[in-house]
Amino acid sequence: MRLIVHDLAEQDFNTWLGGFSRDTDEIIGEQETIRHCVGCFGCWVRTPGTCVLNDSYKHMGERLAAYEEYVFITRNVYGGYSPFVSNVLNRTLPYVLPYFLTKNGETHHQQRYERQIRFTVHFYGEGMSEAERETARSLVRANALNLDASGYKVSFHDTLNSLKEVQ
Amino acid sequence: MRIALVNGSPKGGASNSGILLEKLKPLIAEGNELNAYRVNVKPLKPEQYRELNEADVLVLAFPLYFDAIPSHLLRAMVEMEKFRQQEPGNRELIVYALINNGFYEGHQCKIAADIVSNWCSRCGFRFGMAIGHGAGEMFKSLSRVPLGKGPLKNLGKAMDQLSAAILTRSSAGSLFIQPNFPRIAWRLAATHSFWHAQAKKNGLRPKDLRRQPFQVSRNGNQG
Repeated sequence: MRLIVHDLAEQDFNTWLGGFSRDTDEIIGEQETIRHCVGCFGCWVRTPGTCVLNDSYKHMGERLAAYEEYVFITRNVYGGYSPFVSNVLNRTLPYVLPYFLTKNGETHHQQRYERQIRFTVHFYGEGMSEAERETARSLVRANALNLDASGYKVSFHDTLNSLKEVQ
Repeated sequence: MRIALVNGSPKGGASNSGILLEKLKPLIAEGNELNAYRVNVKPLKPEQYRELNEADVLVLAFPLYFDAIPSHLLRAMVEMEKFRQQEPGNRELIVYALINNGFYEGHQCKIAADIVSNWCSRCGFRFGMAIGHGAGEMFKSLSRVPLGKGPLKNLGKAMDQLSAAILTRSSAGSLFIQPNFPRIAWRLAATHSFWHAQAKKNGLRPKDLRRQPFQVSRNGNQG
């Protein structure tokens, strides 16, 4: 019961990650055009909980709320997610509320849904620098905090072959 | 010196990133050529990548999205890295970042600043420094407040350090700051003057903003 977002070519996904069950997991790859978040806050103040951009990613908030785990399989790009995975995450904004709360002395968003998810990120790529790994760890920790995840995991894979262990 | 000012806000019109760049401009204009670029949902043209690659200084201004760089700007940065591999451009190019985030604390911009720094390493650029400012949505109401005054006192000091670094093309420690305005007052203003006012404009009540649309997942569980 995972919502899996990846940036692999379809063939690579099937070769290396074919073990994911498409019956219980929902898998989002870069097959359909995705629009960029335009920072309009419409998902908070016009159609609360739903993005106003009319494409197949407009319901990312409620889609995530229906699963127990949010999983990213992404190239490590400068210590963050790839543009596609980042795009999907940006479109997940309606998952949280516009309102704030203070957690550990920092401002974060209040949650729209009562339930919590787990957050797991598998970064892949050859030649990741130590700085890129460290930034990536910090990013996942920060995102998990803002999504109020019950827990998070980060792993790094130098080759696509090692992604096999992900399942 | 050719200074490229890149507004990375995805918004179509006025933006907080644009306001920050406007505040910076007078501090670095004298004797320099300033060129403005807008990276939003419309991608940059190849000749614009060439101009950026040949600039002496690049200032990237953008809003924080999920603790990082908004995806449309990230795509442009990846394209820029590819462009750089084909054409060496200016080998001394130095990059500065002006980041604003919707939370109060400026230090929440640190990861995005690190991503920009890592991007510089990949592209062979020098990383200068970043300013990360909290309470970004306040800028619109403060656009006429002079730098260094009132709520923009911290920003004024930070902009002085940033402009000094730009003018000498040097690196310095990044600065993460918030407005000179109490956090509790900012939070109340955000809730009542911003979110609730926006909701009212759209014919919604405050409680409507907490709606919980849900769908059924594939195994039949409800969210």
